Amino acid sequence: MATSPVDPLLKQLTGPNTRSLLRVIILLTIAAAAVSSRLFSVIRFESIIHEFDPWFNFRATKYLVQNGFYSFWDWFDDRTWHPLGRVTGGTLYPGLMVTSGIIYHVLRFLTFPVDIRNICVLLAPGFSGLTAFATYLLTNEMVTSPSAGLLAAAFMGITPGYISRSVAGSYDNEAIAIFLLVFTFFLWIKAVKLGSVFWGALTALFYGYMVSAWGGYVFITNLLPLHAFVLICMGRYSPRLYVSYTSWYALGTLASMQIPFVGFLPIRSSEHMSALGVFGLLQIVGFVEFVRNQLPSRQFQTLLRALVLVIFAVSFGGLVLLTVSGVIAPWTGRFYSLWDTGYAKIHIPIIASVSEHQPTAWPAFFFDLSMMIWLFPAGVYMCFRKLTDEQVFIVIYAVLASYFAGVMVRLMLTLTPIVCVASAIAFSQILDTYMSIDSPTPEVQANGTPASASVAAASAMLPDGLRSTRNPIVGIYSYTSKLTVVAASTVYLMLFVMHCTWVTSNAYSSPSVVLASRLPDGSQHIIDDYREAYYWLRQNTPENAKIMSWWDYGYQIGGMADRPTLVDNNTWNNTHIATVGKAMSSREEVSYPIMRQHEVDYVLVVFGGLLGYSGDDINKFLWMVRIAEGIWPDEVKERNFFTARGEYRVDDEATPTMKNSLMYKMSYYNYNALFPAGQAQDRVRNTRLPAEGPQLTTIEEAFTSENWIIRIYKVKDLDNFGRDHGSAVAFDKGNKKKRAHKRKGARTLRVE
Amino acid sequence: MRWLFSFLVLALLGAVQALSSSGSRLLVVLEELAEKDKYSEFWDDLRGRSYTLSFESPKNDKLSIFKHGERAYDHLILFPPKTKGLGPSLTPKLLLEFLKKDGNVLLTLSADHPTPSAIVSLLLELDIHLPTDRNALVIDHFNYDTVSAGEKHDVLLVPAPKALRADVKNYFEVDGTIAVPRAVGQGLGNTTPHLAPILRAGSSAYSYNPKDEAEIVEDPFAVGEQLSLVSAMQARNSARFTVVGSVEMLQNEWFDAKIGAVGSKEQTTTANRAFAAKVSEWTFKETGVLKVGRLQHYLNEGKKNVNESAVGVPEHNPGIYRIKTDVSYTIEISEYTSTHLSPFVPPTADDVQLEFSMLSPFHRLSLTPLAQTANSTIFGTSFVLPDQHGIFNFRVNYKRPFLTSVDEKRQVTVRHFAHDEWPRSWNISAAWVWIGGIWVTVAGWIAFVALWLYSEGVEKGVKKTQ
Repeated sequence: MATSPVDPLLKQLTGPNTRSLLRVIILLTIAAAAVSSRLFSVIRFESIIHEFDPWFNFRATKYLVQNGFYSFWDWFDDRTWHPLGRVTGGTLYPGLMVTSGIIYHVLRFLTFPVDIRNICVLLAPGFSGLTAFATYLLTNEMVTSPSAGLLAAAFMGITPGYISRSVAGSYDNEAIAIFLLVFTFFLWIKAVKLGSVFWGALTALFYGYMVSAWGGYVFITNLLPLHAFVLICMGRYSPRLYVSYTSWYALGTLASMQIPFVGFLPIRSSEHMSALGVFGLLQIVGFVEFVRNQLPSRQFQTLLRALVLVIFAVSFGGLVLLTVSGVIAPWTGRFYSLWDTGYAKIHIPIIASVSEHQPTAWPAFFFDLSMMIWLFPAGVYMCFRKLTDEQVFIVIYAVLASYFAGVMVRLMLTLTPIVCVASAIAFSQILDTYMSIDSPTPEVQANGTPASASVAAASAMLPDGLRSTRNPIVGIYSYTSKLTVVAASTVYLMLFVMHCTWVTSNAYSSPSVVLASRLPDGSQHIIDDYREAYYWLRQNTPENAKIMSWWDYGYQIGGMADRPTLVDNNTWNNTHIATVGKAMSSREEVSYPIMRQHEVDYVLVVFGGLLGYSGDDINKFLWMVRIAEGIWPDEVKERNFFTARGEYRVDDEATPTMKNSLMYKMSYYNYNALFPAGQAQDRVRNTRLPAEGPQLTTIEEAFTSENWIIRIYKVKDLDNFGRDHGSAVAFDKGNKKKRAHKRKGARTLRVE
Repeated sequence: MRWLFSFLVLALLGAVQALSSSGSRLLVVLEELAEKDKYSEFWDDLRGRSYTLSFESPKNDKLSIFKHGERAYDHLILFPPKTKGLGPSLTPKLLLEFLKKDGNVLLTLSADHPTPSAIVSLLLELDIHLPTDRNALVIDHFNYDTVSAGEKHDVLLVPAPKALRADVKNYFEVDGTIAVPRAVGQGLGNTTPHLAPILRAGSSAYSYNPKDEAEIVEDPFAVGEQLSLVSAMQARNSARFTVVGSVEMLQNEWFDAKIGAVGSKEQTTTANRAFAAKVSEWTFKETGVLKVGRLQHYLNEGKKNVNESAVGVPEHNPGIYRIKTDVSYTIEISEYTSTHLSPFVPPTADDVQLEFSMLSPFHRLSLTPLAQTANSTIFGTSFVLPDQHGIFNFRVNYKRPFLTSVDEKRQVTVRHFAHDEWPRSWNISAAWVWIGGIWVTVAGWIAFVALWLYSEGVEKGVKKTQ
C-alpha cells in the first residue's frame, strides 16, 4: 500500500512540527488573501490615495520623509487654516506617518527604491495581514480548540467591516490602529493570564504605539480598566491582575503622554479617569488582600470591604468635584454624542455633519459582517459557559463594542475584531463537534465493562426493542448528521467569502477621488473631475493663492493642488469653519469682505447637478448654514433657506435667501447656458431651474471641470476706481448709472 | 558682446528720456485741429518736458488708444467736444480701460458747449458730479476778473492752492493768482478716497446757468468750496485722471493775461502757465510718484543686517519667524520729481506706518526715517512679534492724496516654539521642587529594591535550611 504524503495528515499521525508548519502556511495564505482582497482599487483604478483624510496623512508622510523626524515633530503648517496655520506636529497622531517613514527608510537601506506613495497605498493591506495574525493569537488565548484561531484569522482577513477602512490607498490611522488594538488586547490577555510584568510592559508598549496612531486608543484605555473592575467585582482579584494592570497602567500612561497631541490628557480628561480610578482601586484591594492574609478575622474582612466601598465612593465623589470645578477637563462633545445620538445634531452640528458619525443603519451590520452577525451571539454565549478571566474580557468587549457600533457608523471597526473572535469560537465548536471522524465501536462497549454510569442509567430506562437504544452512545456519531452540518457550514463559509468579496469589490474599493461609471456598452468610464480641477489649480494659480472651499475638500486641495486652504478636514476650529459657512451662505455683499479679510483668491465648489453626483455642496449646504448659524444666529438663519412650506428647493420657488447665497450662485452660475432656454435641469435634485440664472459680481468664473463637478471662481480685486462691484459690473454691461437726483435730507458736504 | 549690450542700454535710455515716470507718448484729442494753435504755449511747455505729442480728432475712425491690447499712448489729453460725444474710440468704457492699464488722462471741460452725456457718465463712475444743468458755469461776485468779466463775473480769480490738509503734500504751489474763465464746477463724492480737489472755488462762488434768466438761484448745484474747479482722481493702480473745469485757462491768451482783482486797481499777470504746468506734471506722473526700493525684514540679533547687496537683487527675506522674537523692518522709499529720484520725506503731520497683521493688525507702528541715501529714505522700525502663531503680513499701506499708492505686503509665517526651544527644566527655579521629587523617587525605589533583594535572599536561605 503506497502511502501518499497527505495520508499522515488525514490520519492525524503527524507530529507537532508538521502541524505548526501547516499552521504557518495557513496563516500565510490567510494574510495573502487579506492583502489581495484589498487590491481591487489598485487594479481597477490606479495606485492612488483615497478619500479625504488619507491625503493629509500622505502629505504629512511626505513632509516627514523629506524633512526628517524633528522638523516633522515641530511642523508648523502654514498652508492650512489660513491665516491661523496649524501646529501640525503637535496636533496629529504621528504613528501612521512614522511607521511608513520607517518602512521607507528600511527599504532604502536595503536598496529598494520604493516611492513613498506606494508605501502609503499598500500600508493598510500589509497591516491587515498582521491583524489577521494578531486575531489568531488573541483567539488562541480564549479557547483550546486549534481551529478557532485560524478561523478567526480568516474571518478577520476578509470581513468587509474591516476592509472598509483598509483597502489599498485608504491611508488612514485605522490602517495600522486595528492591528495595534487587537495585538494590545492579546498582550493584555497574556499578561492577565501569566501575571507577568514582562507581558504587562509589552502591553504598555503597544498601547503607546496605539496612542501614537489613533484617537480610538481611548477604547483600550477604558476597556482594560473595565475588565479589571469586573474581575474585582466578581471576586477574582489576584496578584496576576494586580501585576499586569499596574505595570500596564504606569508604563502605558507614561508612554501615551509622550505624544504631544495627547500630552497631559491622561491625567486631566474625564475619558481617562476610569483607568486612574481602577488603578487606585487595585491598590486598595491589594492592600486589603494583604491585610486579610495577615488577619484572618471575618468581621475584620467585612469592615475592610466597607472601607473599600467608602474609599471608592469618596474618590469617585472627588472626581466628580474636580470635573465640576474644571480641574479635570469635562466630557467632550464627541463623548456625549456616544450616549445620546441626538446630542450632536442639536449642539455640535460639525460632528453631526460627518456621515461616519451617524448612527448605524441595521442592514449595515449584515453588510459588514455577513453570517458572523448570528454566529457572534453564539460565541459570546459559549464564553459565558466557562467564564474564565479572558472570556470575561470577550463578553465585556462584545457588549461595549456592539453598543458603540450601533451609535456611530465608524465604530463598526472596533466591533469587527470581537465579532470575528466570537464567531470563530462558535464556528470552531460546530466544526470540532461534527468533523471528528472517529466514532466509538459499539462492539467494544457491548462486550466490555459497563461504559459509564450515565450510559448504564440511560440504557436501564430505555426499552431494549429498538436497535438504537440497545447500546446508546451519547454524542453525534451519525455520518448523515455530520455530513449535513459540515456541508451546511461549508456552504455558509463559501457564501461568506463570496459576500465579502462582493462587498469589497462593489462598495469599498472606490477611491472617491476618481469616480467610475458605466457607459451604455458596459465599458468603464472614469470621471476624473476632481484631479482635473486640482491640477488646474496647481498649474494656473500662484503658489500662495488661498483657496476657499467647504472643509471636506481641504485635505485634497492641500495634497493634490498644493495650495493653502482656509479650512480642512481637521475640524479643530469651529469658528473658522463657521466663517467659511457664513461666506458661502450669505449674500455676495456680505461674503466679499469676509473673503477679502481672509485673503481668499479662489473659491472652489462641488456641483453635481449636471452628472447627478449627489455628494455635492448644495446637498451639504444646510450643514454650512447650521454651523454658521451656531456662531452668528442673527445673520444666518436656517429657516430662511426653506420655503414657507418647509421645503429645501433650488428651483423657481427657492427662497430669496437661498437664491442670493454665494453657494447657490456659484453652483448654478451659467448653468443655463448648457440647456435650451428654460430647460435647465438639476439631475441631483430633479428639478427644473429658474429660467434666469444667477449673476455674480464680486467673483468671476475661473474654471469648470469637464463634468461640471468642480467649479472654481476667482475673487475679484477691489474695483480700480473705488466703485462697488455691483455698479462696476453694471457699467461694464453698458447700464447707465442713475444720477442721484433726489437727495433726501441735508446735503452731505465734502470735508477735506 | 558687453559693449554692444551697454550701447543698447544707452540707446534705450535715450529713447525713454522723458520727464514723466511712465512714458512720453501723449495723445491730444482735439475736435478741430485748427484750434490747437490757441494752446501752442501749453504744447511747447509739454514738448519742453520731452513729450511726443500726437494730435487726433475724435472723428478719426482709425483713432485707437490701444494697439494689440496694450496702450498705444501713455497719456491722454481730452478736449471738450462740441458734438455729442467723443466717438466710438473714446467711450467711457475704453477710457476706464485705459486707466486700468496705467494710462493717465487729463480731461478738460468747457462751459461753452454742454458737456456730452458720455463724459458725464464717465465722471459719474468716478464719483465726480457735474451740474445737472448742462450750461451751468461757476460765478463769483466777489472774486472775478475786473478786466475781462466786469459784467458777467464768470472769470474767477483763485489764489494758488494750499496744501489740502496738514498731512498732504502740495504739488500745485504757484506764485500769483490763477484765472479760471467760464469753468464747469465739479462736485466730488464724499465716500471715495480716490478723489481730491486741486483747485477749489472761493467761498462765495456758486454754479449758475447764465442762460437761465431767473433772478434768484434756488438750490444751486454746489456752492463755495464744494465746487471744485480742477479735481484729481487717482485710481487704485495709481493711474491719474484730472478734470480741468475750464479749458480756456490753458489757452495762450490766459497764460499771460492781465487781470485785476475786485477792489484793487493794479493789474497782475495770471499764474496760469505755471499752474497748467504743475497740473500736467502731476497728471502725467512727473511729481508725486513714490517708488519702493529695497524692503527688508530680518531677525534682530543685535547685529546689522547682512543683506546689503545692490538694488535689484531679489529679496532674501526670511519666510518664517518664531513667536516673540525681535524683528526689524526697513523699507526704502523714493519720490520721483521730474528728473530724478529723491529721498521721500513725508509731510510733517504724517507718518509712514507698518502693520503687522493677521485678519486684523497686531501691531501698527510708525516708521521712522533711519537713513537717507542719495535718492531714497530708509524707513524702519523693530518690534517684538506677538505671542500668536499664524500667517502674518508685513504691510505698508501708504495711500495719500496726490501720491501714488504704496501697498507693500510681505507674507511671513510665525511659528510656535519648537520642542527644543523652551528653557530647560533646571533653568526654571520653580521646577526644582519637582525635579527634586523625581530624583528622590528614583533613589527611594532603588533603595527599596536593594533592601527587598537583600531581605529576600535571607528568607530563601532560611527556607533552604528548613
